[in-house]
Amino acid sequence: MAVEPQFTLYSTVVGPNGWKVAMVLAELGLIYRTIYPDFAKKEQKGPEFLKLNPNGRIPVLVDHHYNNFTLWESNAIIEYLVTKYDTGNRLSFGDFDNQQYMRQWMYFQASGQGPYYGQAVWFMKNCHGEPREVVERYQNETRRVISVLERVLSQQEWLVGGKLSVADISFLQWNTSADRIILGSEFIDKEAPHVRRWMNAIIARPAIAAIMQERMKLLSAQT
Amino acid sequence: MAAKSDIHLYTAATPNGIKISMLLEELGLEYKTTAIDISKNTQKEPWFLEINPNGRIPALTDTFTDGSPINLFESGAIMQYLVDRYDKDHKVSYPFGSREYYETNCWLMWQMGGLGPMQGQSNHFTRYAPERIEYGVNRYQNETRRLYRVMDTQLAKTKKFLVPGDKLTIADISCWGWVASHTWAGVSLDDFPHLNEWLERLLARPGIEKGRHVPKRHTALDQRGLSQEELDKRAKEAAKWVQEGMKQDAQR
Repeated sequence: MAVEPQFTLYSTVVGPNGWKVAMVLAELGLIYRTIYPDFAKKEQKGPEFLKLNPNGRIPVLVDHHYNNFTLWESNAIIEYLVTKYDTGNRLSFGDFDNQQYMRQWMYFQASGQGPYYGQAVWFMKNCHGEPREVVERYQNETRRVISVLERVLSQQEWLVGGKLSVADISFLQWNTSADRIILGSEFIDKEAPHVRRWMNAIIARPAIAAIMQERMKLLSAQT
Repeated sequence: MAAKSDIHLYTAATPNGIKISMLLEELGLEYKTTAIDISKNTQKEPWFLEINPNGRIPALTDTFTDGSPINLFESGAIMQYLVDRYDKDHKVSYPFGSREYYETNCWLMWQMGGLGPMQGQSNHFTRYAPERIEYGVNRYQNETRRLYRVMDTQLAKTKKFLVPGDKLTIADISCWGWVASHTWAGVSLDDFPHLNEWLERLLARPGIEKGRHVPKRHTALDQRGLSQEELDKRAKEAAKWVQEGMKQDAQR
């Protein structure tokens, strides 16, 4: 008999933020099901969904084993998951300093990487690359974020505490958008070899690779 | 009297900088301040990059409990550090693991990933872009209004603060400086009565009032009465160094 999933994840195929959460769930071996609200019908702005997230965005996670506890904002969800379910600190840290450093990088991801890469993708996909100076603004910011990561990763293998953590995982999906859409993969290949080494090391993990493949399969089915 | 600490705040008079000084004042902590002149790109100098590899304010250093230094960047992470370590009485935070603790994180991440970056883009296209791009102005002013609506709706429900309950939290503090700067982003608060009431109510708190003037006088609220010409004049002055900084970033 199939195991009843502990979590429900509300996500989209196109946007990377739900997939960040999926990767952490998969790495922690947690059982979940995914619901994709119909964005064409604006379901994410409907009253039912706004009860889950007043911001009308994905992802949202519901924990059915904890009074249907409901959270939104991808990195707040990830912090909840590791705090509650990664008690062995496989992807997180038990000591205060590294917990703070992990948060620091996850804020940089949420406020520095996601929004700016997201604007680049918006103008390139939805506005056919116009206005050109706006596209350049966000491409430049994407390059800047990658160069910050390169500077740090040229001196250390992982962002925090000498091991893979959810801080590293949180950057992966949007960096693959830089490869696929914003800059092309040659930018990171040539200008940020340590970032490429780091991305490859994350993708090499079987649970992460499986999630990446699932997303790519659903993406290609859409186009 | 302020409690002793080794906290050293590197900051500038921006919505992200004053989050930290307002929180430090609310907590009654002693701290040193170094004003970073972002118009001179001080935040890109090697000594600062050692503290924050991202070259942005705010950053904070402290002596950790083991006696060695800890360097932090990203305003949200700094705020969580300060309450985790120093707000043992839960003046502006909820106990770790409680429902309200996780709800605070949601709104804090919402500010960091949504309100800050998007209102920042509105500032760029409304005030700093070398030429006016109507599409960009509209896109980001509309997104800022959408985010204000999310806050206004929440505050209509909770009556007091973003997280239901009687307590100001770091989620509110993180949003305050951005909402106070609404005029600069080209957005009026006329349609957001609950948000406007919240803005003024927080302003009446001594900690917010004192912290918003670090490292220099907070002027965002004065902009509400300014004429279009005066706003344009101020934007023109700032646009010069903003565009120069962008050029330098692109060359790095």
